[in-house]
Amino acid sequence: MVAFPYHLLKVCGGIVFAAQGSDIHSFNSRLEHVSTWKYPQQHAAESTGPAEEAQDSPAPEGPPAKRRKVEDGKDDAASNGQAKGKKAAQYDNPANERPFLQGLYATTDGRYLVAITGCDKTIWVFEHDGAGHLKELSRRAMPKRPCALTLTRDNRTILSADKFGDVYALPLIPTTTPDTSSPAPTTPAIPLSRSETPIILRPEANELTVHTKRNLRALENQKISLERKAAREAEQQEQNRPKFEHTLLLGHVSMLTAICVGVAPSSSNPSTMREYIITSDRDEHIRVSRGVPQTHVIEGFCLGHEDFVSRLCIAPGGKEELLIAGGGDDDLLVWDWRSGRLLARAPVLEHVKRVKGMEEVNKVAVTRVFATPKWWITGNGTVRTVVFVVVERVPALLLYELWHDNTLSHRCNIPLPGNPLDLDLLVDEDLVQGSTSCRLLVALDPTQKGSSATTESEDPGCTTSLMVMANTGDEWKPAPVENLPTSSSADIGEAELHKLLYTTEGLRKLTDFE
Amino acid sequence: MGGDKIKKDRRQKREDYRRAIRQDGVSELPRKKFYRQRAHANPFSDHQLIYPPHPDQMDWSSLFPDYVVHEEPQQPQQQPNPSAAAPSSPGTDLAPFQPKRLSKDVEIADIGCGFGGLLVALAPTLPDTLMLGLEIRVSVTQFVEDRIQALRTQARRAAETPSDSSPPPAPGMYRNVGVLRANAMKFLPNFFRKGQLSKIFICFPDPHFKARKHKQRIVSATLNSEYAYVLRPGGIVYTITDVPDLHEWMVRHFEAHPSFERVSEEEQESDPSVAIMRTETEEGKKVERNKGQKHVALFRRLEDPEW
Ligand SMILES: C[S@@+](CC[C@H](N)C(=O)[O-])C[C@H]1O[C@@H](n2cnc3c(N)ncnc32)[C@H](O)[C@@H]1O
Repeated sequence: MVAFPYHLLKVCGGIVFAAQGSDIHSFNSRLEHVSTWKYPQQHAAESTGPAEEAQDSPAPEGPPAKRRKVEDGKDDAASNGQAKGKKAAQYDNPANERPFLQGLYATTDGRYLVAITGCDKTIWVFEHDGAGHLKELSRRAMPKRPCALTLTRDNRTILSADKFGDVYALPLIPTTTPDTSSPAPTTPAIPLSRSETPIILRPEANELTVHTKRNLRALENQKISLERKAAREAEQQEQNRPKFEHTLLLGHVSMLTAICVGVAPSSSNPSTMREYIITSDRDEHIRVSRGVPQTHVIEGFCLGHEDFVSRLCIAPGGKEELLIAGGGDDDLLVWDWRSGRLLARAPVLEHVKRVKGMEEVNKVAVTRVFATPKWWITGNGTVRTVVFVVVERVPALLLYELWHDNTLSHRCNIPLPGNPLDLDLLVDEDLVQGSTSCRLLVALDPTQKGSSATTESEDPGCTTSLMVMANTGDEWKPAPVENLPTSSSADIGEAELHKLLYTTEGLRKLTDFE
Repeated sequence: MGGDKIKKDRRQKREDYRRAIRQDGVSELPRKKFYRQRAHANPFSDHQLIYPPHPDQMDWSSLFPDYVVHEEPQQPQQQPNPSAAAPSSPGTDLAPFQPKRLSKDVEIADIGCGFGGLLVALAPTLPDTLMLGLEIRVSVTQFVEDRIQALRTQARRAAETPSDSSPPPAPGMYRNVGVLRANAMKFLPNFFRKGQLSKIFICFPDPHFKARKHKQRIVSATLNSEYAYVLRPGGIVYTITDVPDLHEWMVRHFEAHPSFERVSEEEQESDPSVAIMRTETEEGKKVERNKGQKHVALFRRLEDPEW
């Protein structure tokens, strides 16, 4: 058994939020623990009951994995592409049931934190008092499991991208008082949300296509059972339909993997800026749609990936027309997302092979592409756009630099004593201006035998799950954060933990089916 | 695994048949019984589909050989390489594959074309327009492929040996029609660029009665945005079904989509493609035999509003 590592990081001003299992811890800028939010246990119990699991399966064969029955009769919807066919049937995916934070996001002003838990398809919104204390404002169970989310630039709307390919808009702060001037709770941007689908009662064959009496009787029976089924489904749909305001904006017929918002000058009035919603899916697509209220218009696609796309990163200020995308391909691709033009490629696999112990690796799954903001100043005082890349199960950070000609070149690998899971920048409150160095915070999985074996001996738990890294030039010195609070979640088997932490490679399609 | 042997035998028979038909001058029209397949394929599963990463990388030359442009092999600067140095290293090659170009683009798509009745009837009426059927079932696609091949050969032979009894078909007939195995719900943007199509046909789509299967329907609020993307403004989506509720569903979802408007009945009935859609699709014929109803609705792609 092992303890949960820290796996998600979000720095809000001087406060660090770090998710560990189903807890969110906060720390001040000296990385002293401030407080902890815990996933409510009762909620966990009620939301994982088999009845509910079975019920909320409005699209049983949704992307990417077919639902299949497992021994206990529950549908297994969470495992993805990798788990397929007969072998997959024997996985009783317990990861499915354990509350686990799957995503952690913050408004740009740091006043609100948003989190996703997968097992109950819930989006949580917290108010942050600026000192590390969270107040739970809402929890909203979505129609389908959210995979990723982002916020509109005004920080007022959550854009949630789900496993079934749909993007929903939700107000960050739900309006609780019924307001006649605001739209009805399920008003879709594209009229007719899926939840409004009428039930069709007719069986496929009709009276004219069957002739024998027996056939006719069978048809009658079919009709009756279809009607019953449809009525039952209608009832269930009604029950499952979220009661809060949520708007269907757009959809792919594929599992969504990432979503971000880009801005560009309006084509009719270049002095105003327009938002675009950029979404990526498991079928290699990156789609660019107009923002609200014209999300039904697809502006274009960035096409050229040959495997799943799992991560999108808009380049920081001044280069916002650039999109760096990574996934199951050997390379990162740099796009001009407004024109859909491919600008550059930057190899990933090639550099992963140079990480100690990774020489034999022949495929990569990119899990983070993190570009430093424009005020990032490196140790030697130059302003550069540095891009950190995390590859699943690779115990290093890959460091790239984005150049003025839009090329992205690899600078170095930063070896780590475990697999990095997430990262963010630590900015000392009083040093934002003219700071000589920013520090990088990295969450990692220390149960991996990384390049340093010493960490394993002492506390097998979390002593190295959080690291702070400071740099001089391209040289990075990691230092572990001490005195971390321990997880409130019970320990977990290593295999189960890995199933929770390392989900990206599973997006890859199998090529040999027979 | 017990059925494997039987499956193999059947497959073997089919393959033998198809090989024979292809060798034998190709003028014999294929027989459906050798191409039947399970009625439904799940549009969400991965299958083993072949599709280009980008429309520019689609090789149309084998589907429309008569339209291939023979040009000097040169490097079209579609996606210029910013690092002008050594584009040969695999990691930095931005324009990996340049297929042969056609003198014109495909303009008509028949989504879920089944056995190809619509295309085969439509092709001679629009002889200068390239049209493509998209079908997810492998052997049904193969049937249409063989059918087109046979029709081309027949047309060529008829043109070579003119007889008095029947007027020879124009040479080049059926050269403008092709078929591809594809999941049209996922990969339209891989085959067609923005605004490339002028007509999309959706004829007798699978109804998917159950509410929880509605996302599998080929018409939906979100999927209509993709049809709008590949259709040029003024382009038309043609729909026909014998299932009244599905008709209603399609009308409702297209009418509600801001990129489409319903075409008036008058205009609809004066469109020659509508008659073909009613009578020439295999499903249309089946419904005819059963004296069932056919519900038609057309939708026009509108210009996008300013943004
Ligand atoms: C009922 S048949 C109609 C065939 C033909 N349009 C006609 O009218 O005779 C529907 C066809 O759509 C095909 N189909 C269903 N989903 C599809 C998809 N996602 N992409 C391509 N074809 C699809 C099915 O395999 C089937 O052949």
